[in-house]
Formats: sequence, structure tokens, C-alpha cells
Amino acid sequence: MSEKSLAFVFPAFANEYPDDPFHHLTGFAKYFEKCLQQAAELVSPDLAEFNFKTRTFLDDELKTQFITYIFSCALSSYFKDRGISSAYSAGYSMGIYAAFFHSDIVSFQNGLKLIYRAYKSIRTVTSNAKFSMGTVIGLSRDDVLGIIEQTGSHVEITNQNNVCSFVLGGIEEDIRKLLDFAKSEGALSTNVIPVSGPYHTSYINPPGADHQMIMRGIQFNNPAVPVVSLIDQKILKGEQSLRDEIIRNLYTPMNWFKTQLYIQHLGVSGFIECGIGKGLTKNAKFIEGDAVFLSPSNLFLS
Amino acid sequence: MRIRKNRVSKMAVITEITKKEVKEIVFNFFADECEVDLAEIHNETNIIQDLDGDSLMFLELIEIFKKKYNLDIELKTIGKYAVKHPIQTIGQLIDMQLLIIEHENKLLELEK
Repeated sequence: MSEKSLAFVFPAFANEYPDDPFHHLTGFAKYFEKCLQQAAELVSPDLAEFNFKTRTFLDDELKTQFITYIFSCALSSYFKDRGISSAYSAGYSMGIYAAFFHSDIVSFQNGLKLIYRAYKSIRTVTSNAKFSMGTVIGLSRDDVLGIIEQTGSHVEITNQNNVCSFVLGGIEEDIRKLLDFAKSEGALSTNVIPVSGPYHTSYINPPGADHQMIMRGIQFNNPAVPVVSLIDQKILKGEQSLRDEIIRNLYTPMNWFKTQLYIQHLGVSGFIECGIGKGLTKNAKFIEGDAVFLSPSNLFLS
Repeated sequence: MRIRKNRVSKMAVITEITKKEVKEIVFNFFADECEVDLAEIHNETNIIQDLDGDSLMFLELIEIFKKKYNLDIELKTIGKYAVKHPIQTIGQLIDMQLLIIEHENKLLELEK
């Protein structure tokens, strides 16, 4: 497969870890340990205690984001050192920080800072209510929008993964009611996502909200690898556009379905999921096109 | 192999060959997807607890059968049926797939 035809995609955050994510990738553990130590020194000493087998931090939203980011960045460096490069990168939801690291837009340390500050900023503007997120599989977009309207829910569609798979965010109680109703309307599956913030909804951008503090003192470089926005499926160009993307990514719906199709349209025939799990790879089976999707568990490198 | 359909009722005829074929597809699918030995899968195997299966696998399997048998069925019809007849085991899933092939979008009429 030509390197020019590859795109690296970076997942949001894990809700499960494999027991041994390193056995396919000889030498990768050292990359991960190095990044973990750097992160422990910069943002939280607890991170040094991380262990895949004991499922450390899976109940801690912020630390799970850190671990996912650390893993993704370590993978990016591991691939680069082996001459595996990508023509494009894209970050799924909070995977945007790792995508920016991969494209040399921000340093590893500044990516950690952005995650920490974004998390705190979201907590500040959502402290007035309990929020949640959920997934609906097996209904169309019109069906889901109809259910939101019919139930009068304070819920928004935050992402479309494929033609019949949606992510929702909003008031916790409304999310639960809506998921129950969706099931009775024929959804094949509904699930609550164990997060406290309604990522990618307008609830994160109430009147008076100011997320600009997230960017304070963060240097942005020109992308070494073009980054595709999941919000409008455009290639991000110029420093201001990159900065704007970090902010609007917090409260704007994205569309992973359209983004994958757009990246294929750019000539990409292979995607590598640079993350702990293989959720994006699984989902890709429902996207039309001939592109191959691989996760680290499919790769054997030395 | 395309299944033959009864022209009067427009319901597919489920033959022993169809049953065998559906079983093979389901068993092979989960063996591949869940990276387990085919011999470890039985009708009583619990899809979530024993195989760590998920709803995307269920969706993929439905799409496989829709294409193979040229089925006219909406996903939400299957979803509504599944609410009343939850699937836990491989055997239950095979039974449901056979009903889907046989009744397609009239699946919910079985409830009446």
C-alpha cells in the first residue's frame, strides 16, 4: 500500500483496554512508557501507575482521555520512526489533539495542556445540570430527529458514524428517556456513553461561554500532514483555522460518516486507526468504498 | 445460493439447506469476528458474555443476509421484533435470521 494513500485517524477516548496492546508491535512499549512518563511529570503523577491489565483510570474521564492521547501519540511516533507516514490525519472527537500532534501542529506537552484545559472549561459551563451521551444504532437520521422532536428532549445529534448509527448528547435524564423510546421505535441497539459532558452540543457553548483560555500560550505550527475537519469535511488551513477548530470542536456536531467518504474522495485507500481500541475500524465496515481500515491489532511491525 | 420464494404467499421457503447455510454463515462470522475457534461456538453460546459480541456485529450480520437473500426488510422492523424477542445466544440469532428470511418486512405480523 502506498504511503501517499494512507490516512491516520485518532479515536476519542477508550472505554476498554486490551490486555496486551503491544504484542503485535515490537518495541512499541518503550514509546508508550516514554510518553506516559512525560505526561506524569507534566499533568498528573498518577499516570505513572497506569496499567492496561488492571484497567486503571477507566472510571476517570479526564485520565482516560490522557491515556488515549498518550497511546495515540506514541503510536504516531512509532509509525514515523518506521517510515510509515500518512497523507492526511483526522481526529474523531477528542482525538483531535492527537491528530494535531501527529501533524506537528502542537507539541506532545501542549496537546496534554489542551486536553486538561478543555476538560476544565467544559466542566465550568456544564456544572448547572447533569449531562450525558448515548448511541442509537438501527434508525435513520430522520427517525432520530423525529424521536427528539416527539419526546421534546433536550438532546442533540452530535455525530453520525454511518447511515444508521448516531451519537447523541444532552440532559442526562432526557438521554435515558430518548434511548428507551428509540428502542421501542425499532433501534437495534442503544447505549449510554459513560461521560459526563455533552461533547459537541450547544450546551457547551451557552451565552457568555469563553473557551479561549484553552489556547493561552499554546504554539501552533503549520501542519506537516493536512488535517481534515470532522465538522465540515474541509482541510484545515492557516493558524487561525486550526485554533478555531480546537474551540468549535467542543460544541459543534461532527460527521464521521461524511468525513470518511471525503477522505476516500481525496484518494486515500487505507486508514490506520491510531488508538487503543478498534471502534472506528469496526464501524468502517458499514461505509461504502474500497478503502481498507486497520487498527494496531491488525498490524505486525518490528 | 438464492432462496426460492413462494409466489402465492411471497414468503420464502425455509429448507434444510437454508437452515444449514444460515447456521454456517453465523458460526463462521462469529469465529472470524471474535477470533475464536469454530469448535468453541455452539447454539447455546452467549453472544455477549462468551464471545464479547456487540450490536455492530449484529448489524453487519443482518446486512450480510440482506444482500445474500435479497431481503426487503427495514432495520427498525427487526429492532421492534428484537425488543420483544431479545437475542442472547447463537441459536436464538439463527432462529431470528431464519424468520427474517421467511417473513421479511412482515416479521411483525407474527405478533398478531
